[in-house]
Parts: sequence; C-alpha cells; structure tokens
Amino acid sequence: MYRIAVLLLGLVLPLAAQHENEKPKHPFVGDPAAIEAGRALFAGGCAACHGAEGQGGRGPNLRERIYWHPVDEETLYRVIQKGVPGGGMPAAQLSEDQTWQVVAFVRSLTAPAIESPAPGNPLAGEALFWGKGGCGECHSIRGRGGKLGPDLTNVGATRPLPQLRQDILDPDASGVNGYKSVSVVLRSGATLAGVARNRTNYSLELQEANGSLHLLSMSEIQEIKLSKGSPMPKDYAQRLNKVELDDILAYLSRQSARPIEPKKEARGN
Amino acid sequence: MIRHPLLLVFLSVAGLGQVRYEDILRGPAENWLTYAGDFQAQRHSALKQITTANAGSLVPKWVHHIPKANGLRTNPIVYNGVMYVTASNELRALDARTGTLIWQYKDTRSKKEAVNRGAAILGDRVFFVTGDIHLVALDRRTGGVIWEKQYGKVEDGLYASSAPLALKDQVLVGVAGGDTGMRGYITSISASTGEELWRTYTIPAKGEPGSETWGKLIEYGGGATWLSGTYDPELNLVYWTAGNAWPDFFGRDREGDNLYSSSLLALDAANGKMKWYFQFTPHDTHDWDAQAWPVLVDLPYRGKMRKLVLHANRNGFLYVLDRVTGEYLNATPLVEKLDWASGIDAKGRPILVPGKDPTATGNRVCPSVRGATNWMSPSFDPVTGLFYVMTLEQCDVYTSSSLDPEPKKNFSGGGAGPKPADIGEFFLRAYDPKTGAKKWEYPVVTPTADAWAGTVSTAGGVVFFGDDQGQLVAVDARNGEHLWHFGMGEGLTASPITDAVDGKQYVAIASATAIFSFGLFEPAAREPAPKIKLQ
Repeated sequence: MYRIAVLLLGLVLPLAAQHENEKPKHPFVGDPAAIEAGRALFAGGCAACHGAEGQGGRGPNLRERIYWHPVDEETLYRVIQKGVPGGGMPAAQLSEDQTWQVVAFVRSLTAPAIESPAPGNPLAGEALFWGKGGCGECHSIRGRGGKLGPDLTNVGATRPLPQLRQDILDPDASGVNGYKSVSVVLRSGATLAGVARNRTNYSLELQEANGSLHLLSMSEIQEIKLSKGSPMPKDYAQRLNKVELDDILAYLSRQSARPIEPKKEARGN
Repeated sequence: MIRHPLLLVFLSVAGLGQVRYEDILRGPAENWLTYAGDFQAQRHSALKQITTANAGSLVPKWVHHIPKANGLRTNPIVYNGVMYVTASNELRALDARTGTLIWQYKDTRSKKEAVNRGAAILGDRVFFVTGDIHLVALDRRTGGVIWEKQYGKVEDGLYASSAPLALKDQVLVGVAGGDTGMRGYITSISASTGEELWRTYTIPAKGEPGSETWGKLIEYGGGATWLSGTYDPELNLVYWTAGNAWPDFFGRDREGDNLYSSSLLALDAANGKMKWYFQFTPHDTHDWDAQAWPVLVDLPYRGKMRKLVLHANRNGFLYVLDRVTGEYLNATPLVEKLDWASGIDAKGRPILVPGKDPTATGNRVCPSVRGATNWMSPSFDPVTGLFYVMTLEQCDVYTSSSLDPEPKKNFSGGGAGPKPADIGEFFLRAYDPKTGAKKWEYPVVTPTADAWAGTVSTAGGVVFFGDDQGQLVAVDARNGEHLWHFGMGEGLTASPITDAVDGKQYVAIASATAIFSFGLFEPAAREPAPKIKLQ
C-alpha cells in the first residue's frame, strides 16, 4: 500500500517541483490565447506522431514521461525548433512565437488545470457536479459534499486538465491512492465499510462515508474485503455527453484553495 | 503487539464527536489539543502510565520521516488517536499508534518556504499557516479544504510560522519577519467562515499612543508575533508576545522605548483591544524578542491567591506578573551569565549597566543573542510546584552597523555570536515561581550548546526534554535525576508532548526531519493475520 501511495504521489508532486524549477517562464506559457494557437499548430504538425492530446503514438507521450524526467520550456523550444536529428523528429518550420505557442500547449498538458483554458461552462458544470452528475455525493468542495472520495477543493490547482478528464472517464487508470473501497469483519463480529486511507500488514485506517475514521490493528480484524479498482462509477462516458463533460471539467479546473491569480499579459498575439 | 480484549469491543473512532472548546479547557491527557497542551501553556499532562519507576523501559514505537524537512519546529496535536504535524506549507495526519500517514495536505502554490510550529484544532477542523501567510482550515478527518484565508503579504516583509491558537469560534495567528523591518500584528479569523474578525498591531501607527517612543523607523518597527499565545477564559484575555525592535542591533534611529516591541500584550479576545502590556526589554538592541511562553498559573503569592503569568525571558530574567492587571510583581535571574542589567526595578524596568550596547568592533554581553532561554517551551508542574525551563549560559559578541537601514532586505543593523572559545552550556532548571529560587538543575554537557527543544512534565512525575545532541531525556520532576534518554541522531528544534491511544501513553517529539513516538516496552505478540479478499 505504501509503495502504491508513493507511486501515486509521484503523479502530483513533481508537477509542483517542475514549476519551481522553471524560471523564467515565457509569457506565452499559461496564456490562454497562446495555448489555443499552440493547440492548432500542434494538431497540424505534431499530433500525427504525438497524439492529439500528447498521449503519444509514433512519437513519445508528452503527458506522462514528464513526471519522471521533466523537460523545461527552453529544452522543449529547442527540440521543436531543431527536431531530433536521427531520431525521427524533423525540425518544425515555425517562427519563434509559433514555437513558443506550441511549447505553451505542450506545457498545458501537464500544468495544473487552472493554468490552462478549459472549454466548457463552469456554471453549468457546477450544476451538474452537485446535481445530475452525482459527484458531490462522494466528493467535497470547501466543506460541502461527501467524504468517501478525494476532496476536490484544490483539484484545479494540482491536476492537469487531461488528467482530470481521465479521472472521470477511466477512474481505475487514475489510481485510488487512499480511497480503495474496503469492508472489514472484526473479531468481535462487528462490521465496518468505507475506504482505506492507508493499509499496512499491521494497521488499517478506515474512513466511513460519514467521515468517521477508524484506526484498526490487524489483530482486531477477522476479514478484509478490498476492491481492486476505484469505487467511482465507471460509466461517466455514457452518463455525460461531450458538452456536459466539458462543463464539469471547466468547473473542476477552476477549483483552487487559494484565489486564482490573474495572468500577466502575454507578449505578441 | 499486545492484544487488548477491550480493543475488540472498543474501537478508536477518531471521526466521531467534535473537538469542543471545553475539551481544550480540560487540559492535556489522552489528547494534546494546543501547541502548549492547554490554554495556559503549562505543558503538564495528567497521564501517569509512564512513571519515574518505569521510564527506564521506554523504547521508540515509531518514526515518521517527512521528506525534505529540515529543522522541524512542529508541535504535534493529538485527538482521538490522530496526530497532526506540520512542515513547510504542509500538514499531515498520522495514526498516533503507528505513525502511518492517514492523509496529507500540501499547499504547492505557496510563495514562501518557512518553518512551521504546528497546527490548531477545533470542532471538525484543523488549522495551519502557510509560509506566505495564509491560514488554512482542513476537515480534520478527511484533509479536505474548507477555507483558506490570506492575512498578510510576503511583499510587506512578512511570513508566517506560528501555530494558530483556536478558541471558541476564532483562530488567532501571528506573523514573522521581525529581523527584516516589518510591522507585527495578531489577527483573529473566524473558525467557521475564515473572515477576519480583528487585527491588533504590536507597533503603533504614527500619532497613536506609544508612537512617541519611536524615532524614524516606526513603520518598520518589528514586533513580530511568531510564536503562539495563551488564553485565560475567565478574563477572556489573550496573552501574546511581541518580538524585537528593528534594526535589531542598532538603536540610534529609534530612540525611546520602542513600544510594544519585546513586550507581553494582554488582548481582549472579543475585539483585540489591548488591556495591558508589559515591556521586558525597552529599546532592545540585542535581538531579545519576548518570544517565550507566557505561562498562566494560579498560585498563593505573597499571602493571597493570584492569577499570575510567568515569563522566562530571553533577556535573562524570570518575570512574575499579575495577569489581570499586568502589574509587575517580581523578576529574578534565570542565568548567572547576565551583565547587561544589574536587576529589575520596582516598576519592572531593567537597571541598565552602561556600555552594553553593540559596538562597531564588538562588545561581549550576556546573555547571548539566543537568550537565556527562547521559544523552547517550559512547563509548570502543579504537583511539585516547579517551573521547568531550558536555559543557556552564554555570552555573545554583539556588533552594530550604522549603515542606513534597508527594510525587507534581511538587514538587522549588526549581528552577534559567541567567540569560539566562549561557547556556553545548556541547563534544564527547575525554579520555584513563588520566589524565583532555583531548586535543581540538569546540565546538558555537549560541545555545541545548540539546543532548541523544550519540556513536558507529567503526572507520572517525569519531565521530558530535548538536548542539543538530539537526545530525548527523561528526568525525575522532583530532583532532576536522570531516568532515561534516547538519541535521535539529529538536532532538535521542537518540544516534546505526551498522548495516549487505547490506554497506552506515548511521548512524541519532532527531530530535524522526522516525528518520533516513544512508549513503554512490550514484547511482540504472535498475531493472527486477517483474511484478505480482493474483489
């Protein structure tokens, strides 16, 4: 369990580290207009090999390898401009500004969602989140909502938009660190059910749907039933149409524990 | 692990119930609910499973490392078996029996890395500050964010490191940065909504009463509020200390007493208004912040019961004040190496020895810049009636600089430090607060004299403290005799606490990079493993 915890933490924490190490930032990075321009350029010239959302194909995945070996913006710029001689990637025929737009788009794939524009209507997404989507039954935002799933108050400030999309459409792929469904039968005969916030060979920290935490020693437990995957419903691809999904993503991408700082005006464009 | 039959029917249900204000009022036993254990900062626990007879069989129960931590200052909070500890911009909830991480919250968008002294707890919430001066309220069970409130700006020369103080429906917080030119304040924030309720500055604005005690630099006067405070529920008064005047070592441009730097402030908890103040070190030029704990005790004093506040001050004196009125009652030397003042006069003002200001070439003055004691927590044991304080016998060479002060640039107008052959020595000392008399002392023999850990005393008659070689030490509260020690292998910059889960008492402390928890030795038992089914 702990190994899983460490691995999954790795999905989020290096993003933060990456931010701190990347100075100075080019003004296009994080600029919505530049990212959209970059998206179009990427679709035209890069997506054939790297995938439309940078998920990889003939060329490398630009979303996940970066967790282990983050590439800084200057390096991205250089690789786009010069290509990878002998490695199959041609030099892009792009101006300086266009290259930075592509960098801004690639960067947005791994940057926290609040740093990138999200298509969709956040107000409609809010209504869906707390209504038809049923998200608030398990997830909380600023103290409102359920206790079984991860708190989402700061999710836009910590997770990239493509990751959020995957979280909704394929929860098992996103991992369930600290939120695996668990039910236990105690040696006393009592039963408990909820999520395992942590579990080792020796102890289990079980959280019930009402938020109650139970600190259990394994010696107290007769039997543990654990779900393999995420307890989150797996059918959101059917339950939500594309517009609704974009709306929820727009709402989630704006969730930040501290206020979102306005972007400085970008150069050019 | 020993199996307790009771465990089979009684589960540690950490999520039920609320941490009520009344729970904090009861003082520390199984739970440790404020930085100092209670509102009075007595740091004395009712737990007595660990005694002078069995302390020798204490062993480490678990260690929880915090990656990238360095010089942890956190004071654990424990409620119903869950321990809350902090590091820079981070709060972790641990299983207090095992050290296992239950959840963590890291504010990755903070603009400032800073030491952090710990959390506060109230209701269903746990609170901590970020380095860049946000107070964060989290659901104490799930770690979910309930609100986050910015209460200061890094751009103003400030940062935050103090443990919040939660009482009734408010959370009090302070600011750090007093060595760089800033204006200190204490802010009250609503525990429910995150709204700011009141703010009281430790340095008056130009034209306000007290401003006449300043020269040119009042707007950057300092008076940081980087420790936490104490509280008297009957008087509804909060006691909070203010740091040094700025520039620390050069006083030419700030002639006067420099109110309310290096002072203890008594504030009305309802609105922050100052009921009284007491300045320990007027016109401080030795960086003697008043940041040591104002410990609230009720004692028969000179023939009648009085509400007192004890303050072991960095300037070398142990003060006793009436906490209702702020009346000065007594001051006695904490240390022998004390030469800047020959005593304290009848009004509580130091009787200065001439020629003890810092100079351009350096002036040896006692005590040292780190003080005769500092923010390491003292404790008061109502059974022995003794006040336990970590004290440093050391003198420093103080230099001053007449360079034009530059606020917000880490300019302190000089500096201080010991000569290499003049390194001091720490002592754990027990004082009778009624007389100031030293009853016993335990010398901490090490070559470095670099201790920052305080004490906790217990109903089991044991005082725990940390020394500057990374040892947690247990001594007999009555006479200071050594009972036990354990080396954690790195420096200590935090004070120990004690808690209990499922009937077992623990003693916990942060080392530089980890949280340690100790308990009485129990042989490992063969335990049946549960059946695990994956579905």
